[in-house]
Amino acid sequence: MTWWGIVIAAGAGTFLIRYLPLLSGTRLARGEGRLNRFLGALGLAAIAALIVLSVSDLWWQAPHWRGGVRLALGAAAVLLVQRLTPNVGLATLVGAGVYGAAGWVLAD
Amino acid sequence: MSLERAILSPWRAAGRGLHESLSLVVGYAPIAFSFGVIAVQSGLTPWQAVGISLLVFAGASQFVMVAMMAAGSGGLTVLSAVLMMNLRHLFYGPALATRLVALPRRLAPWLAFGLTDEVFATAMAKGASRPLEPAWCLGLASGAYLAWVGGTALGASVGAGWASDGGYVAQALDFVLPALFLALLAQAWRRARWPVVAVAAGATLLAMVWWPGHVAMLVGMLAGALVGSRRLRAECSQEATT
Repeated sequence: MTWWGIVIAAGAGTFLIRYLPLLSGTRLARGEGRLNRFLGALGLAAIAALIVLSVSDLWWQAPHWRGGVRLALGAAAVLLVQRLTPNVGLATLVGAGVYGAAGWVLAD
Repeated sequence: MSLERAILSPWRAAGRGLHESLSLVVGYAPIAFSFGVIAVQSGLTPWQAVGISLLVFAGASQFVMVAMMAAGSGGLTVLSAVLMMNLRHLFYGPALATRLVALPRRLAPWLAFGLTDEVFATAMAKGASRPLEPAWCLGLASGAYLAWVGGTALGASVGAGWASDGGYVAQALDFVLPALFLALLAQAWRRARWPVVAVAAGATLLAMVWWPGHVAMLVGMLAGALVGSRRLRAECSQEATT
């Protein structure tokens, strides 16, 4: 398999993994069964799983109390801004800024 | 007038989606930049790096793909690894469809192509409060795609000599994706849904002891959604009796 062949096959495969279930999903979306409720809860569950993955990646980069404090401060800033202004972009930027600034303040 | 409104409306929805993709753009750009840098450092040409982002558009699996190619793995091995990593996306389409006002057939391929973890999470967080217009989702995915491809191109072309110096700005950028997911969780949060979040987070954490991240995420997602399907049924029954 050539280099571009691998890339094209990976792109096509990834696309089909996303596309084919989306088509069947329109039928499922009209139902009221347990599968429909399962799919309704999947988004929130995915977000929670993504938080755990991304935070644990950061934590293992520097598993130290300072890292924990930075994560807590960054998370608190995100939640505070999100509560004050329902603006995901602003909350994200402020959270990242606080995380970066906390690293500077807590540096040895 | 109504015809004009009907024609303009999807464009307005797409514009709103594009506008709301800004938080994704901020999160994607540095990661895509890193991908471009790493791809070139692994021996790919800038065009090859951009080609992967253009055709695959699946963050983590692209990093794995480049690492395996650089290590000389066979084509089928690389392909299997990429597809296995992206299997969790099987569930995204049906879940998104439950939140869409409609799914025109001609838009489905475009929506599916842009259905990454972050686009899905953002759409589902927004969809918790109102039904989603397909054009809005397309605008959202377009912003994310442009940031991903643009960031890769920038990293691959000007970032070859660039290396992370561990500075505080770079560290702040490391927190962009966790911050984005946390803000999305806060946006989609409903008190009654806490078991979904707790079980998904706990199961992911536990699964990470034995399996790599993409498998742990799949386990956590499914466990949380299973609990959610039971809880939601209980909530519906409760509403019916009151």
